Amino acid sequence: MLHLKNISFHYGEKPILQNISFDVMARDTLGILGPNGGGKSTLMKIIAGLLKPSSGDIFFDSFFNVNKDLSYIPQSNELNTIFPLKVTEFLTISLLNKKLTSDEINHALNLSGVAHKKDSLLQELSGGERQRVLIARSILESPKILLLDEPTKGLDGQGIDQLLKILKELKEKQNTAIIIIDHNINEVVRFCDKILCLNKTYHWHDHSELLTKNILEDIYHCEFEHLKLHEGGKHNHHDHIFCQHDHDHSHDPKAVNPKKHKYLFKK
Amino acid sequence: MENFLLSIQDFFQYEFLLYAFIATLLLALTCALISPLIIARKNSFIGAAISHSTLLGLAIALSITQAENDFLVLFITVMITTLLTSFLAISKTDKTPDDSKLGIFYTSTMALGILIYSLGSHQKNNLINFLFGNILLLNLNDLWISLGIFLFTFTTILIPLKHWLFVTIDPIGAEARRYKLKKYQLFFYLLMTLVIVTSVKLAGTILIETMLLTPGFFALNFARSIKQTFIYSILFALITAPLGLILANYFSLPSGATLAVVQFSLLMLSFLLKFLSQKIRV
Repeated sequence: MLHLKNISFHYGEKPILQNISFDVMARDTLGILGPNGGGKSTLMKIIAGLLKPSSGDIFFDSFFNVNKDLSYIPQSNELNTIFPLKVTEFLTISLLNKKLTSDEINHALNLSGVAHKKDSLLQELSGGERQRVLIARSILESPKILLLDEPTKGLDGQGIDQLLKILKELKEKQNTAIIIIDHNINEVVRFCDKILCLNKTYHWHDHSELLTKNILEDIYHCEFEHLKLHEGGKHNHHDHIFCQHDHDHSHDPKAVNPKKHKYLFKK
Repeated sequence: MENFLLSIQDFFQYEFLLYAFIATLLLALTCALISPLIIARKNSFIGAAISHSTLLGLAIALSITQAENDFLVLFITVMITTLLTSFLAISKTDKTPDDSKLGIFYTSTMALGILIYSLGSHQKNNLINFLFGNILLLNLNDLWISLGIFLFTFTTILIPLKHWLFVTIDPIGAEARRYKLKKYQLFFYLLMTLVIVTSVKLAGTILIETMLLTPGFFALNFARSIKQTFIYSILFALITAPLGLILANYFSLPSGATLAVVQFSLLMLSFLLKFLSQKIRV
């Protein structure tokens, strides 16, 4: 359905992505892992059509309508909430090409867990609630490919479980292919069939079980014990930077006992 | 009081004042329609830059001809200089923030305008009228132009408002759904430029920004829905603009300055009332 051939991206002279190739078919779940600055969001923006690659090609199958069949959920803090817009109004103006009934809107909001906020103003919602509204929009779109950039950011444990359940349903009932970027390595590996590890260059794994401790250490440039620090993204940003530049964290009180993370690669 | 009422009657007795009154209503209405969008799209500074850079066009026009009465020359020269500012606003530089280059450009064009005017013109008061606005400058031409700009704004902003809201609230989502954001942005700058150039005689180069911002600022602080936002913005503009015009005429004051003070005063009064009502409720 989606085919990337030798995609590279440079920002000025700085290479961000180099020669990335992979295919995504219907019902695929692809997780993209890697440290900050590794090019994950850039790659997703290229697929969404927000950025043009410096070189390489991106193809969709002939039956695929990019305007209708692709849905992209950016990070929630990128919404401009100066206007007093209700959640239902936001969904309506976002999907003007679809004639939505109030039942459809209620159903999507219910699935994403924000039905009780349907008459609230977007500016009054928390980051996590806005993220759920964007998920509701994607449910209403019934896309063939769904792109999610750090969707668990701002969600609590229950919210993450709810999200993964929705994604699973989309995959199974509507054959949606899902591409997900997230810092929750454990969740990504558990949920996805395929894994792409990105740190400018890439490692591709057709089966997420093939992802080994060594590969993750190589991609994140840090020891496995500290990978847990990457989970939570911005929250642990300081630790993340710290990890990339110094492998000796024995004095770091936040260092996590590796024994606790044995489940990481078990499905 | 009687004199004040008589001064209101003037607007219906004298043709030129009636033109000015209707043109003011139309311009206020136009500003009110785009004001919430200017604020939400964070275009306030580019608005200030465009309005200030009209000075260069005005200076050139006033130096070459008696452009005060030559609408076409005035309009064309001002449009050229302001469009230059708009294009500069959307051109990207890698290392420096966009607002810095705008700041440099518009103050430099103002300075150049003042130099050109000082060297070329013999009627020094003309420019002052354009800096702070003068209702006596408005004529029948301005009325028709104001009507045209209002209809243009109504058709291109209010009718497709849902699209404008979407590209403003979720630009990334809109771009991913293949909206051409740059075209929207360019069009909006062009529209702002047209409104500013048309309103310069009434509100003045330096003060037009008040007319463009206060209705939307008021509305966005008090409204609880999109519909309310635009209704409040329009009501605010339609109450304050004629009031400012009447006071300017009565006290023989520059219309732009009077209008700006009236709008700012009403804005402050509304916030004071809001504050007091909250205190009473607590």
